[in-house]
Amino acid sequence: MSASLAVITLDYRQGTSGPLAGLGEAAQAAMAPLQEAVTGVIRPIEDFFSGLAHLPTLEDQNRELREQIEVLKTRIAADGESRRLYEELLGLLGLQQLNPDSVAATVIANGVSNFSWKVTIDQGTTSGIQVDQPVIVGTSDAPRLVGRVVRVTETSADVELIIDPDHAAAAILDGSRETGLIEGQGDRDLRMSLITPTTEIEGGERVFTEAYEVRGQQGRYPPDILIGAVARLVPADNELEAYVTVKPAVDFSDLRFVLVLKVPTEEPA
Amino acid sequence: MIRRVLVVGLVLITVLLLQSTLFGQLTLLGVRPELVYMVTILFALLDGPAEGAVVGFVGGLMQDFLLNEPKGITALTLTVLGYTVGLSRQFITSPSPLVPAILVALGTAAGLAFHSVVSFLRGEFPHPIGFTTKVILLAALYGAVLTPIAYPLIRRLDEGARPRRVVRF
Repeated sequence: MSASLAVITLDYRQGTSGPLAGLGEAAQAAMAPLQEAVTGVIRPIEDFFSGLAHLPTLEDQNRELREQIEVLKTRIAADGESRRLYEELLGLLGLQQLNPDSVAATVIANGVSNFSWKVTIDQGTTSGIQVDQPVIVGTSDAPRLVGRVVRVTETSADVELIIDPDHAAAAILDGSRETGLIEGQGDRDLRMSLITPTTEIEGGERVFTEAYEVRGQQGRYPPDILIGAVARLVPADNELEAYVTVKPAVDFSDLRFVLVLKVPTEEPA
Repeated sequence: MIRRVLVVGLVLITVLLLQSTLFGQLTLLGVRPELVYMVTILFALLDGPAEGAVVGFVGGLMQDFLLNEPKGITALTLTVLGYTVGLSRQFITSPSPLVPAILVALGTAAGLAFHSVVSFLRGEFPHPIGFTTKVILLAALYGAVLTPIAYPLIRRLDEGARPRRVVRF
């Protein structure tokens, strides 16, 4: 028990840069290959696509993806699951062509806690992944926000999903052009706050990321990435602000492939 | 001794892997089982408070490191849980096969509640009480359901790893 209390105290004093954080990264680095192996066993179909995230260059990535898509075409007629994955990968390919400086990755684990909404991907610093880089899915027409990288090792990275209560970002409503702060609420819909109470908002209105720059520091995400759609309008309980709940555009229960954007990473203002 | 450490280490790594992969998808109404809690309780039930506390501390620390969250809280929770369950053995007289499942359910619920309170006191628990209660109850139920599968396996591994007494004539 004394050892536990010592660990809590050390961690509290050293924050994210002490030896305990280093031990955590080492533990994650050691577990990532095992998680990848287990995920491969329990989701055999992922083996077929595992090369997606390991390709060295964009050209190779595109060629490999096209080859995989050709193979998939032959299976579509008989296999509905393959069709879904084919469409997912096709969308991701289009998205990657729009963002050449991005890295495709496979989700290999879903975190270990009921109180944390994070996933682990199979790409790390060797692929250029850094903390705070945005993670997206979708197609070139409609990129959708997954979250951001919060911890990275050589071969894996933890991604904090937008539904995690620790996650917050600037957002803008598509119709009314009202901006606000969108925060995760775990298993419930997202909450967008700091909205002017007099704003007219319609149910189903889409919500996108909002870029900003304050004193040289940029916001967390690039603009115009779809976050979700307004689910419920909550009457203002004071005259200063109102909030809405937002249904995420991503189905986090079945996240398999993602794209990490290598945008410049700076601390949000 | 080394064999015992290896067995406990392998069991903990296996349940952490399962919890972060398979059971991330196989949830009970959105809640995954707390397998490290279950393993700690079962080892404590089989071997007593000292072993329970050590397994709980090591398992909790491993989970803390994987979570990238404040470290030590799960280790503290499981150390206390393992020790308490180990102590409670002497008060359990029923031979019912349901005893391990009931202990896992009660221990998981108490452990998660303790973890939530400590996290809240550290200012790092933003979850509403309704959600917390749901997770505690469902994780306890899920653990109890899995115990009839896990308990025989862990008991067999535990007995196989015990040092054997050598009698020389």
